[in-house]
Amino acid sequence: MSQSDLNHTHSPEQPLLLEMRGITIEFPGVLALDNVNFDVRRGEVHALVGENGAGKSTLMKILSGVYVRDSGEVIFKGQPVFFTTPRQAQLAGITTIYQELNQVAQMSVTENIFLGSEIERGLLVNWPEMHRQARELLAKLHLDIDPRQPLSRLGVGQQQMVEVAKALHHRADLIIMDEPTSALSLREIEDLFAIIRELKAQGVSIIYISHHLEETFEVSDRITVLRDGRHITTQPTRALNVDSLIRYMVGRDLSEKFPKEEVPRGREVLRVENLNQGDRLKDISFSAYAGEVLGIAGLVGAGRTELVRAIFGADPIDSGQFYIDGSPVTIHNPRDAIRCGIGLLTEDRKQQGLILKMSTRENITLTVLKQLTRGLFTNRRRETALAQQYIDSMAIKASSQNQLAMNLSGGTQQKVVLSKWMATEPRVLVFDEPTRGIDVGAKVEIYKLINQLARQGVAILMVSSELPEILGMSDRIMVIREGRIGGFLDRAEATEEKIMEYATGANRVVPEAASVMSA
Amino acid sequence: MSESAVVNVQPSANRAGKVLRQMIVAAGPLLVLMLMVLFLWVTAPAFRTPTSLLLIGLEAAAIGVVAAGQTFVILTGGIDLSVEAMVSFSGVVAAILIAGTNIAGGQIAFGIPAAAAILIALAAGTGVGLLQGLIITALNINPFIVTLGFRSILLGISLVWTRGAGINIQKDEFLSFLTGHIELGSLRIPMPLIIALILYAIVWVTLRHTKLGRYTYALGGNETAARLSGINVGMTKIIIYGISGLLASIGGILVMGRLQSGAYQNGTNMTLISVAAVVIGGTALSGGTGGIWGTLVGVFIIRVVEAGLVYLSVPSNAKEIVIGAIIVLAVALDVLRRGDIPWLRIRRKSSA
Repeated sequence: MSQSDLNHTHSPEQPLLLEMRGITIEFPGVLALDNVNFDVRRGEVHALVGENGAGKSTLMKILSGVYVRDSGEVIFKGQPVFFTTPRQAQLAGITTIYQELNQVAQMSVTENIFLGSEIERGLLVNWPEMHRQARELLAKLHLDIDPRQPLSRLGVGQQQMVEVAKALHHRADLIIMDEPTSALSLREIEDLFAIIRELKAQGVSIIYISHHLEETFEVSDRITVLRDGRHITTQPTRALNVDSLIRYMVGRDLSEKFPKEEVPRGREVLRVENLNQGDRLKDISFSAYAGEVLGIAGLVGAGRTELVRAIFGADPIDSGQFYIDGSPVTIHNPRDAIRCGIGLLTEDRKQQGLILKMSTRENITLTVLKQLTRGLFTNRRRETALAQQYIDSMAIKASSQNQLAMNLSGGTQQKVVLSKWMATEPRVLVFDEPTRGIDVGAKVEIYKLINQLARQGVAILMVSSELPEILGMSDRIMVIREGRIGGFLDRAEATEEKIMEYATGANRVVPEAASVMSA
Repeated sequence: MSESAVVNVQPSANRAGKVLRQMIVAAGPLLVLMLMVLFLWVTAPAFRTPTSLLLIGLEAAAIGVVAAGQTFVILTGGIDLSVEAMVSFSGVVAAILIAGTNIAGGQIAFGIPAAAAILIALAAGTGVGLLQGLIITALNINPFIVTLGFRSILLGISLVWTRGAGINIQKDEFLSFLTGHIELGSLRIPMPLIIALILYAIVWVTLRHTKLGRYTYALGGNETAARLSGINVGMTKIIIYGISGLLASIGGILVMGRLQSGAYQNGTNMTLISVAAVVIGGTALSGGTGGIWGTLVGVFIIRVVEAGLVYLSVPSNAKEIVIGAIIVLAVALDVLRRGDIPWLRIRRKSSA
């Protein structure tokens, strides 16, 4: 942080509530945070922005006691603090409102607010007092909610407000909001902003993390940018605009970051016709071609992951027809999909992609064990040879074939998952958030592997929330909006603005026109 | 943005401790077993004969076979609470089929040769195991509940068919062979122990060198990832519960043969002991890691403790207390192994 940034403070008369200095934390293979400085004043909304993997969540997890820092100091309310559990942070007055709300839906609003701090009279719970206080807290936030009703009756937005009420109950001085609007409707977002202003007026400070830059500008007093685990700048919001902010966030030459290779488009490999799944996917039709990278963009919750999971047979569909090389195929489960030559690299490697307790070799050969089995037994020699082939060709950094998957770095893990799918010799390979949680160097390696696959004639579908990645790597972009195809864009015409227009429906595209464009 | 949630990263200062812990995990149970044998060797003169060791081997055989099946199930992250009832059930089925009399009176024998009767009993046990697996996968019910239910059902059937008593049988040639022993010089090695060791070898090869074995570990390690890798998770589970049913039935035949009686009490306590043996042997209750030889060691540890109590003249009624304590200890060991005890944790960065 340069000195000039510090002098730019929004309201100099407000004292510092929180100061984090020189925060460093290292995960195996990744310096997740490198000497990061960050501070929050009383009654301030301080936005924290950066690309995926920039270190925002890591910094907040250190603040809230989930991670333990390697070095650096945290000063809260003038006292040096060292939280090792989330509870310590909460008791000190720091509350986090997570993306996924941690509430008990079956219990009443009151019970949720007082969960873990119930008021008792003697041995019994003092319901009247708890309901009274809950009503008071909700009134403070101008919320008209009956505290006796079960939380499950409320919408997601109101549930989030209850979480805010809970934070107030815990006398939070600092509330961390991590992507609070990702599940909210526009009206609910307005309500949330009203509450944020109310909290500010009451002297509560807020750290606001969001991918939506417009929101950040609307609600924050100051903005701090992180990139690749480093502090880039801290400035008053009014001193910035969207362009300058993006420059701080990206901060490097895009062409170098995405080593895209042009591959001539081949024949149609996969065709999806009229795919429907509940209210998540509606009437989706498109084709994927050999050697083409088809980027799939859209807002969180638009149905991108649902779409690729449906194609892979991971979730059942209501109707729709798939074609491989022009012939109709049925896909009821992942086994069918693999038989059709489709592979899926899931967005969550650890939960869905890898068997962490198994070795690198065993993970690589998991999809093709059948082919490696002769009679009753697996052929260990062929298995070892196959695993080694991928370890060499992909430059997988494992100490040996026997190294457990859990001990590999994020990028290496992704390569192991990719090997697993390449072993099946797929015709169509689906990447869901291929570089999430992977550091920059490894990202480029993954992109190069995607290029290589495209050269070999594999049809690639790539879901990504990172627009630069979509723009940098796709030959063609399919934008999903609310479960439907919002439109197609060719590489030459695609820009962030156009994708966002299609994703939000700001400039409505007639679906027919979109499919003509793709043809 | 949920980057790099790294689980259990130990700083370098803790690395030595980690290596030590891994060594204890790997060799720990065997070491404990050897220390216990040594202790008894020194303190109990009566223990100092090959015969007493072989007797422990005989005692370990039936429960060992049962625990081998339990190992499969626990490796997938499941549990089979029906094994003790399966032991009783297969014994009762075989005893009814072999010429025998019901203590409660009346001839209910079918007069089938022992070998055939045993095959039928094993087939019945395997069938019930497969059925449990089918229910668990098709209806997506927790194995805990399904196998607990089948425990009652199988015990109930055993009770009804034996009218609450036991069905005594005459030993024929085949049964005598199964429950007899082989003379090896001056040593009389019990046949059940040999059968158990052969089964352990087969299970080991299955776990290590077949697709089914790999899928067993994969399921326990991460069922979702296994499914998304194209593994037929449902079929694998059904087969696993079938294997557990088969092995428990074999255990049941061994018990029945020795007692010359098929009774509903034949399997008493075997569920608890089999689970304890698996966990003591280093297989995680959550599945995905562990192995068959650890289970064998676990079985022997439990049997040596029991024998030790006898040699040290502890009243037999107190046996239950010690077994209970061992089970709790074994589970504590499992937790300790995973490093999941907060107040013992020095420093950890973990996923939220």
